[in-house]
Amino acid sequence: MTVPLLEARNLSLQRGGVDVLKSVSLTVRENDVLALIGSNGAGKTSLLLALARLLPVGKGDLLVNGEAVRGGRAELGYRRRVAMVLQEPLLLDATVTVNVATGLSLRGTPRKEQQERVDEALERFGITGLSRRSARSLSSGEARRVSLARAFAMRPEIIFMDEPFTALDLPLREALLLQLTQLLHSEGITAVIATHDCREVLQLCNRLAVMNKGRLIGSGTPDEVLMNPPDDFSAAFARYAHSFNCTTRG
Amino acid sequence: MKKLISLCAVILLAATGIALAAPKTIILATTTSTQDSGLLDVLVPQFEKESGYKIKTISVGSGQAMKMGEKGEADVLLVHSPEAEQKFMTGGFGVTRRLVMHNDFVIVGPTSDPARVKTAKNSVDALQRIAKSGALFASRGDNSGTHAKEKGLWKGAGISPDGQKWYQQTGLGMGQTLNVAAEKKGYTLTDRATFLALKKNLGLVILSEGDSKLLNIYHVIEINPAKWPKINAAGGKSFADFMVAKKTQETIGRFGVEKFGAPLFFPDAGKNPASLGL
Amino acid sequence: MELILDGIIEAVRLLLSGDSEVLAVTWLSLKVSGLATLLSLLIGVSSGTVLALATFPGKRLVAALVNTGMGLPPVVVGLFVTIFLWRNGPFGHFELLYTPAAMVIAQGVIATPIVTGISMAAIQSLPANLRLQILGLGASRPQMVWLLIKEARLPLLAAVMAGFGGVISEVGASIMVGGNIKGQTRVLTTATVMETGKGNFDTAIALSIILLSLTFLINLLLTIIQQKRRPR
Repeated sequence: MTVPLLEARNLSLQRGGVDVLKSVSLTVRENDVLALIGSNGAGKTSLLLALARLLPVGKGDLLVNGEAVRGGRAELGYRRRVAMVLQEPLLLDATVTVNVATGLSLRGTPRKEQQERVDEALERFGITGLSRRSARSLSSGEARRVSLARAFAMRPEIIFMDEPFTALDLPLREALLLQLTQLLHSEGITAVIATHDCREVLQLCNRLAVMNKGRLIGSGTPDEVLMNPPDDFSAAFARYAHSFNCTTRG
Repeated sequence: MKKLISLCAVILLAATGIALAAPKTIILATTTSTQDSGLLDVLVPQFEKESGYKIKTISVGSGQAMKMGEKGEADVLLVHSPEAEQKFMTGGFGVTRRLVMHNDFVIVGPTSDPARVKTAKNSVDALQRIAKSGALFASRGDNSGTHAKEKGLWKGAGISPDGQKWYQQTGLGMGQTLNVAAEKKGYTLTDRATFLALKKNLGLVILSEGDSKLLNIYHVIEINPAKWPKINAAGGKSFADFMVAKKTQETIGRFGVEKFGAPLFFPDAGKNPASLGL
Repeated sequence: MELILDGIIEAVRLLLSGDSEVLAVTWLSLKVSGLATLLSLLIGVSSGTVLALATFPGKRLVAALVNTGMGLPPVVVGLFVTIFLWRNGPFGHFELLYTPAAMVIAQGVIATPIVTGISMAAIQSLPANLRLQILGLGASRPQMVWLLIKEARLPLLAAVMAGFGGVISEVGASIMVGGNIKGQTRVLTTATVMETGKGNFDTAIALSIILLSLTFLINLLLTIIQQKRRPR
């Protein structure tokens, strides 16, 4: 068995005095697209932040390709191999181009290459026309796509996304789903996505994990998990998926 | 991060560059009257050129100047408050005290002269008339040499002006006190030099002068290095010697003649202090 | 009224004729206050940012102290700096009293809390998760801090202008630690006080006008920088 790309062992985390993660263990293999589902407050965002090494974990280990990530240097190295897209598209007060290039310029990518990658990312998300616009003038849908373009421009090994489809109108959702499907499947980017959206989950993801009150209570392929939903939330999720006759990826 | 550190270093260097540029310095504590009259603007550059020292002239009142001397924060004093100076010397704070020059004080007031000071017999009589008429009198109120002289005169006149409505203590320098007197059309005691220098803007006139009690006598005092080892004793001596040197005394005697038609100061170095009523 | 007009005329005359004393005084004002502002910028922006981002016990107390420092009476600063710098004081042997360096120190002490306080507020007013998002794009901690500072450039430049304004106009501390010595520590503000005291009102007004114009020009420059590069 090959070493998984990312492995979390007994991650525990406290935020503001509250236990938000309780001994969570999971593995992510290369090319996996893992969906994290659960009700609000179940710990999805916290888990993403912990996996992306953006929050210091109280207890537990994170292993990348079998090696533990410990110490400032290793952490920075790891963070430069992955990308995090928070739920709110927090853009800088600058043009769209500058925003999308942020990650690249942080890594010292040469100018010419930066421009190429930015153009490519803008095109992927259908926002080439916005390149010179000020980030402050964008609609929420446009801002969301810019923040995604920003992450993908870096071609990360793993991308963590927190509820990428929230508050998008239907046409935008459709478009985004298409774009992400293309990106994730054809480029083989590994991803962990926290989401509520049933259809998007089932179309994009090949693994599913259920969180409940800070614990990971079930994981496996979507079929496996939804056949035996471990809690009420996932049970409702399964019914919804079934009623829409969603075809799972696998 | 590195940029920050190198920027801080550059700033520190620039600042110290500003500080270290000076050669051995002398701190001269003197009075606002000597500064305001412009005499020091003539003498200081001369001294610096001849001696190679750099002088920092701090003009405050005689009282503060002597306090600075007591604390060893000045190397040499040029002050005009003889009684306080004597106390200073008996306290062992000064190593030599030499007579330099004198000018005189005058009592000035508005041309209307409500207290009829102009016809007073002498300075004591003038002050008594002011007190009696309740006309406004502006006092320095700052323990300067001028203030000390003024207090002595009131005492000699048997009057206690403190707390009286017409007696206003400004706590400011001579120039500003004169401005206050001018604005309020009141009287004040001033040294002739400062008055002549500022006369044109004031609208006040000299109403009492010439009284021997109104002599304003300047001494140069070298601070005692035994009390404060950090004193620039050599520098202080150099400046004191300069002030009583023949050439400087001649310069002092000529100062102001061209501009005001009369000298502002009278050189006295080497004279018997008794001749000045001390 | 006439006096003010006279003052304006005198100001122009002094500047155009290149009166060496006025130029020297103006240049020293710029140097001293400029250096002090630069120092306060470096110390203030970095401390303000650290205070905004860090969590530690007593943080609110420190923030309150900084905010109090913003209102420090300059003359009190002058008094204390004098006591520290005079010959028999703890830093006496540096012989800094009555030098421009002492004025830079005093003005720096006055300006730094102002810049720190406003910087702290500026960084704290950024969205709370921006820090995380920037880290999530692969930024090192110093890179993140730098990006946050850039994001807050509007209020931070306001902080610099506030600091500069506070010290270019300062007179009490400058007189105390500088001594208003001709050719050495005389700046526009201290010269204005002296000329007023001597009764030379037209010169005093002229110096005031030069000071005001100088301050306006510099703030104009800083404002242009602050407000520029705002894409549509």
